[in-house]
This record gives sequence, C-alpha cells and structure tokens, in this order.
Amino acid sequence: MQYLTALLPRVTLKQALILGGATAPPLVGGAGVLAILLYLMAAGGTATPAPEQPIAFDHSVHAGDAAIPCEFCHRGVGSQAAATVPSVEQCMFCHSVVKTDSPQIQLLQAHWDTNTPVNWARVHRVPDHVRFVHAPHIQAGVACETCHGDVASMEEVKQVRSLAMGDCQGCHRENSASLDCATCHK
Amino acid sequence: MSSSANEAAARASAVSEMGRTIPTDAEVPHPEGVRWGMVVDLDRCTGCQACVVACQAENNIALNEEQRVLERRAKTWIRIERYWEGEFPNAKARFIPVLCQHCGNAPCETVCPVWATYHNNEGLNVQVYNRCIGTRFCANGCPYSVRYFNFWNPEWPEPMNNQLNPDVTVRTKGIIEKCTFCVQRINRVQVTAKTEGREIRSGEVQPACAQSCPTSALVFCDINDPESAPAQLAEAEAGRSYTLLEHFGTDPGIIYLKKVDPHAEIHEDEHAHAGAHA
Repeated sequence: MQYLTALLPRVTLKQALILGGATAPPLVGGAGVLAILLYLMAAGGTATPAPEQPIAFDHSVHAGDAAIPCEFCHRGVGSQAAATVPSVEQCMFCHSVVKTDSPQIQLLQAHWDTNTPVNWARVHRVPDHVRFVHAPHIQAGVACETCHGDVASMEEVKQVRSLAMGDCQGCHRENSASLDCATCHK
Repeated sequence: MSSSANEAAARASAVSEMGRTIPTDAEVPHPEGVRWGMVVDLDRCTGCQACVVACQAENNIALNEEQRVLERRAKTWIRIERYWEGEFPNAKARFIPVLCQHCGNAPCETVCPVWATYHNNEGLNVQVYNRCIGTRFCANGCPYSVRYFNFWNPEWPEPMNNQLNPDVTVRTKGIIEKCTFCVQRINRVQVTAKTEGREIRSGEVQPACAQSCPTSALVFCDINDPESAPAQLAEAEAGRSYTLLEHFGTDPGIIYLKKVDPHAEIHEDEHAHAGAHA
C-alpha cells in the first residue's frame, strides 16, 4: 500500500475531489476504480515516503549506534520555533577527522571547502496557516519520538505521523494543553 | 461629530425595531483572568497614521491602491476616522483610531455558521482564516465596520513581497480578515514567558499599532489587571472614558478617553445645563 501511494502523484483531499468532479462524467463505468485511485492519491498526502537527500545522512548511525542526543545537532529545539538543521560547520566538528575517506563525507567536505550550505530536503512541514513552536513541547517533556517516530532506527528519515489537525488535537486533549484555535492557527 | 451621533441613534432604534434584545451590563459575560484590551487616549492622537502603516506591514495586509479605495474595498485593520468640528476658519480636526473592539459580547461571533470567528478565553475575538467560508455575515453584523472581505488575492510587487511577515497567514480571496491584536506577538511572548518559567510582564505584549504610536495614544494592556498602567490611566481619567457605541451592549475591550479641549465651543443646551448648576 505504501509503495502504491508512493508511486502516485500526491494531492490533497480537496484537490482529489475537484479532480474527481472533473474526470468522473466521461468515465462513468470506471468511476469506482477512479474513486479508489483518488482515495489512494489523497492518502498518499499523509503517508509520505522519505525524500531523497543530497547526502545520504544516516540517522540510525548517529542517533542510534553513536547515541548522540537529538538536541546536539538540532540545537534550536529547546528554545525556539524551528528545531534547526545543523550547519556544515557543525557536521565538520566531528567529520574533519571522523570517516574522512567515505565518499559521502567527501561530499560534505566539498560543501565545507566551497562555503556552500547543504540543501537538505525538508521531511516535516505543517501548513502555512499553522505556527508550530518546538520549545514549549520540549519544555512540557514531549519526547522527540512522539511525533517524529523512532528516528534512531531510520536510515532515511520519513514522516510517520499525519501531523494533521486532529493528530495534534488528540495529543493536546490528552495532555490538557491549549485547544484554542489561536494557539496554533495564525 | 453630531451627525454621526444622530446616525448612531438611528441605528440603535433600528436595532430595537428589529426586535433584538440588547443585553444589560449584568448579562454581558466578563471573563476571568486575562482580557486583552486597549486604552486609546484621543487627547494624544495626532492622526499621523503610523499605526495604520505599522499594522499594514506587520499583518501582511494587501496594498490599498487608489481604485480599491474608490470601490470602498480598501483594507485597514486600524483606520483613523477624521471628523471636522466647527466651521471654517475655526474648523478643528478630530481623530479616532478605530480597530476591532474585541467585544465581550460580539455581534460577529454569533452569526458565523462555521465558527470561523469565536471568542477565546483571553478576550480576543479570533478569526480562523482557513475555516472561514466567506459568508460575510460577521462583517454585516459588526457595528464598527472593522471586518474586511478579501475580494481579490493579494499581490505585492517586487521587492515588497520579501517583507511579508512569516508569522501571519497571507489571506486569500473569499475570506474575512480583521485585527487580531497581533495574536502572533501575544503567542510569542507567552511562549517566551513559559520557556523562562515566569508570568508575562505588564507591558511586555505590544501590538504593532501601539508600538509605533509616537505619542503613546494607543496602549495595550490586560484590562482585567487593575495594576497595569493603562488600566490605571483609564481609572484615573474615568471622567472622559467611554467605549464606542456602548448603547449596543457589545462590551468593547477598547476604552477611549475623550479629547481634552479647553477652547471647545459649549453648545447652547450644555451651556444652559452648566448654568443651572452654577
């Protein structure tokens, strides 16, 4: 199922409905098949595959085997909105000496030498009308794995929860956190 | 100003003719805890429009081109209403900044069929943009005309598109927008205070309009906190404090302080009244 949804172009439920409305009349016989296809396309919007990264960074090695705490690299997580992705300089703290012969680290070294940032592909994104701030969640003692899944065992990081409004609200309700619209919607 | 007072009286009677009951003060709910509000001292307002510009920049409000203004579809979450008092050459300009009053008993909230607008527990009249379906009932219900409908998708020419505030949604065509009391700034201060494990300090939250006001005519505060400086100002100046269209019973969160004018012409009836006391 995951593989099937990954193959189809991703659409939102609203787009799927519009698409369905536009294409269903000439395909009356195949309407059932079309409905299933559109459902899968919309479902694909939540079960996202791991995006391709410019450097094959392996979280299972860093967070798993080496047991580096998440906050060591994602330094903004406890104090600001964005968890922040580490700079090339931060990677080079270790990789100026660690595994310098690996081809992937040489890619990193090239970025360091040319003073260019790595264009990491974003994995988690909430819609534009939502303001998510990491800091209060960390303060409240929410573990990173609660939303991001077991990253320590992921070779490629992918989104594991829908992070849709109901998903956030369920957790907020259980933990007596604010359910006021203005807390997240901006 | 007298013509607008007549208009207001006419509107008030129209409301009662329609059979709507106006709640008394005792019936209007007064929330416990924080209630964000503002004290507007009209004696300090010079009508400079700095608040209007600041609001426009902070809240990603679309540009009001001449044509939009002529069509009466310009959007200004805060506007300076100008009145002329007296006849030339003794005419005096009077200014009143009008923004969403964040009414405790808001007429706009009850008419929304999708709960896109509601009152939160901090006294804010909140508009949830992505829930709004654009019926415009709220704008029609608002006696202060401070809700604005997006008739077009907003456009910003280069390089102005680069100055959009990432903390505020860019509203698309077909939805209502309004003053939020810069809820993004309130949220930011609340998160900072929570992170530092303390209460919000008095005067720590400042919406763009209050921040930019050169004469501090607009002061933002928790009007439920009697210790806050603006609340004390309103208390000390109770003789000239009023709320806009208070006979509608909307329980506004904004307190206006009347302009002090030692040279004001005393109207005939007021003069007679004053004479009776003397």
